[in-house]
Amino acid sequence: MAEYRTHMKIIGDILSTTRDDLQDEDGATVTYLIRKANVSHSRISRMLKILVSQGLLEKVNEEGSNKYKISQSGREFLHAYNTFSGFATNFGLTI
Amino acid sequence: MEFLLENILNLVGFLVGLAIGIVSIIGYRNTGSPTLFRLSIAFFSISIGFFVIWAGYMIEDFIIKAGSLERWIQTLGIAIQTIGYFFIAFSHSIKSLFPKSRYFRSVGIFPLFIVSSVHVEHIFRSVSFILLAYGAIETILSYFENKNKGAISVAAGLSFLALGEFLGWYSFVFPESILYFVSMVIKIAGLIALFIPVSKVPLTKIKFDESFD
Repeated sequence: MAEYRTHMKIIGDILSTTRDDLQDEDGATVTYLIRKANVSHSRISRMLKILVSQGLLEKVNEEGSNKYKISQSGREFLHAYNTFSGFATNFGLTI
Repeated sequence: MEFLLENILNLVGFLVGLAIGIVSIIGYRNTGSPTLFRLSIAFFSISIGFFVIWAGYMIEDFIIKAGSLERWIQTLGIAIQTIGYFFIAFSHSIKSLFPKSRYFRSVGIFPLFIVSSVHVEHIFRSVSFILLAYGAIETILSYFENKNKGAISVAAGLSFLALGEFLGWYSFVFPESILYFVSMVIKIAGLIALFIPVSKVPLTKIKFDESFD
């Protein structure tokens, strides 16, 4: 059975991919993030726009294609997300 | 002895609720998660509920010296705690609690106005028991999904609190028995069990949101 993921969990997955699982040092392409985070193109486009505007991701224009890298704020958010995700799991909840 | 234990219970409840509430609100301010917001409301309510009863005992003991706590203060404290237990259960998507019919919703609160404060306290205790039992079951079910050991401690804590509420309610039937004493000991154990996994949250490495006061 497919696991239901909250909006926050998908953001966590996107940020984790851009931190731990990059294709190369320049960042991850949208196609790569779609595959790794398992999100539709329309949804991930909206989310990437928000994450870049919030300063959690950096958009890099590399040879005509957009790539995404995690920023320092993104790393801090991801650390907080992982900490409090564990805290909520203690209560049987998902953040 | 019972008075001392009652004070210990209310102080432990106040402090544990406050600690978990603060961790939850820090989590909410750093992640924006609505789940953490609901948890913070839940535990701040529980904390305030215990504080109200503790403050009532203190005022009665040192200022009024009437010999017994005003019933309405006890009822108010338990009611505030029940709100907290509701938000814990609500975080587990408790939807079936609300009747779908608008008529039943409108009359659902009516019994609260036609019974005495003693009965209201019984109602709050029984509602608390149901909410705590629900929260404990959901938490232990989540343990079977993700094997997080902290969930066992929280489930045990909620179960002890539920059992404590049940015995506390049942002690009205046998007022001179040891039941109320046992219920307080079990509730203190429950609060400590709730706090164990929370005490392991590594807050020291979190760079706090600058807007958080």
